[in-house]
Amino acid sequence: MNAFAAALAPPLAAVGEVGEGFFKERSSDTLPCQAREGHLFCFDWAKENIGSFGTPTLQHLEIVAISVAAGFATAFALALFAHRRHWLQPPLLAATGVLYTVPSIAFFFLLLPITGLGRDSVIIALSAYTLQIIYRNTLAGLANVPDSVRDAARGMGLTERQILWRVELPLATPEIVAGLRIATVSTVAIATLAVLASGGGLGVKFYTGGNLTFLTSIVIAGAIAILMALAFDVVLLGIQRLLTPWRRAAAG
Amino acid sequence: MPSPEVTSQGSSDASAVRYERATKRYEGSAEPAVDELDLEVAAGEVCVLVGPSGCGKTTAMRLVNRTVELSAGDVKIGGSSVRERDPARLRREIGYVIQQIGLFPHRTIAENVGTVPRLLGWGRERIDARSEELLELVGLEPELAGRYPAQLSGGQQQRVGVARALAADPPVMLMDEPFGAIDPINRERLQNEFLRLQAEIRKTVLFVTHDIDEAIKMGDRIAVMRKGGQVAQYATPAELLMDPADEFVEDFVGADRALKRLALMRVADIDLWEAPLAFVGQATAEVREKLRDAEVPYPLLVDSERRPLGWLSERDLAAETVPARPDSPLGPLLDRDDVMRDALADLLQGESQYAAVTDHDGRIDGVLSVEIISEFLGSPRAKTEEHSAAERPQ
Repeated sequence: MNAFAAALAPPLAAVGEVGEGFFKERSSDTLPCQAREGHLFCFDWAKENIGSFGTPTLQHLEIVAISVAAGFATAFALALFAHRRHWLQPPLLAATGVLYTVPSIAFFFLLLPITGLGRDSVIIALSAYTLQIIYRNTLAGLANVPDSVRDAARGMGLTERQILWRVELPLATPEIVAGLRIATVSTVAIATLAVLASGGGLGVKFYTGGNLTFLTSIVIAGAIAILMALAFDVVLLGIQRLLTPWRRAAAG
Repeated sequence: MPSPEVTSQGSSDASAVRYERATKRYEGSAEPAVDELDLEVAAGEVCVLVGPSGCGKTTAMRLVNRTVELSAGDVKIGGSSVRERDPARLRREIGYVIQQIGLFPHRTIAENVGTVPRLLGWGRERIDARSEELLELVGLEPELAGRYPAQLSGGQQQRVGVARALAADPPVMLMDEPFGAIDPINRERLQNEFLRLQAEIRKTVLFVTHDIDEAIKMGDRIAVMRKGGQVAQYATPAELLMDPADEFVEDFVGADRALKRLALMRVADIDLWEAPLAFVGQATAEVREKLRDAEVPYPLLVDSERRPLGWLSERDLAAETVPARPDSPLGPLLDRDDVMRDALADLLQGESQYAAVTDHDGRIDGVLSVEIISEFLGSPRAKTEEHSAAERPQ
């Protein structure tokens, strides 16, 4: 439990700085809304403190982007490697599945002796969570390419590498991007736990002053996280549309 | 299909394909899929591999482009062994058309057609020009070039499949049940278009089908295969129908093979009867005179250009001169180039004994009768079992 306390201490200390305004106001006698327990949203406080969400939001964005990018690179490489080595697919699926089931707090602690506290541990853990869905969707996308298309490609003299990059991967794009979208949205959510490993991010605003009954900050941080997830999703969907013009043509 | 002159430029010569004791054994199966196959397909000919499913016909075809690798023996294209070639490079020189078509869904029609030229490193302009030329060759509107395969009908897609296979002007084409998944009406159209195309481009074609009628129609030569990948008979369609090598081939070809022979003949191939002609305004007495030693008992009314108008009846001949409007309608009208089977169908459908046959200008050439056809079917060369379908027209 010592390790747990040690892990939590730095983020809470960091929170103390950004939450300074809050402590000051609390000491006054007027008893503004933020001081009342269980009050859902306090506009006055929000107006005054909105600026303090900037840095955590950027940190959050960075954590998500790096984690998903690293997870995608790893899972994509694994999928390509296992694509024509069918015997490799079940063990790799099991391995990524096991990673997916490790609770995040446990993951941070397991990484403590190796990468210590901070963003590195967070990114390693978060990217590990994306492996399963991206790996599985990439393989499924590649497997869904009709055999006739592969047969025709081979029969016309495309090499195995050309078949993969010019035929199979473009056709698997919708499934790959679908996996990427799920992975990204869930990473935006899980990244709020980065605070537990002193990784920063929006989670910092969940634990303002250690006062979990003060909800305004949690509501704002939560809303930013949701908007961020939606924004990622829309951008990825847009990229998929751009990459797969034939799908809309076929539907129209 | 539009004029195929476009292919004449830069057309590469066809190459003969030769199987030399070609054998394919799959691991874990006792019998070889293809067993010491010896077969020679002459340059520019269509060789149809036909047989029941599991007879190894597709495997045999795939040995040529090494999508199935030989276990023993050899396949030579234009005298050189496929074993010595890099498979991908070899395949770029062999057109490949499959039943499921296998167009790339993410590429436009023009890009699909340009697949092999791009692999061969042609310049962009040359590829575009070639795609355009080929779409025209297979009878597709140029507007389709920018569409995606899913926007085309099945028949259009397989036209693209054929165009794509022809793109780099390969000396050899492999076609694996190319029209098998197309509806019957479009299948017939595609078959006819391909035959017309082939008459111009003269590729060496290995064509796989399980349909003996298609084999007879498409093949210059037919290899009937039986289970175990052996050739039961390798012959021209006519030889196959007249003289099946054994019971297996006879069964496979079918009891109606005399009728099938009709599919191989054109009206011009048979001796027609001379029509007793009558012109408008001619004295009926003259016409009666003509009728006396004619094989056809009715006079055929023709215009001054000798184009048939209709048959004259007894009642018409009762008048002094030949009337301008004949009593009986013309009934089925055939062209010299019509396939005999279709001609017979026209006769049966029109419930008519006789049909006028015209030349390309629409002028009368002669008369085809049910009697001529039944005599032909009853001749010793065409004779089959007593109960065969050939007796139906009598």
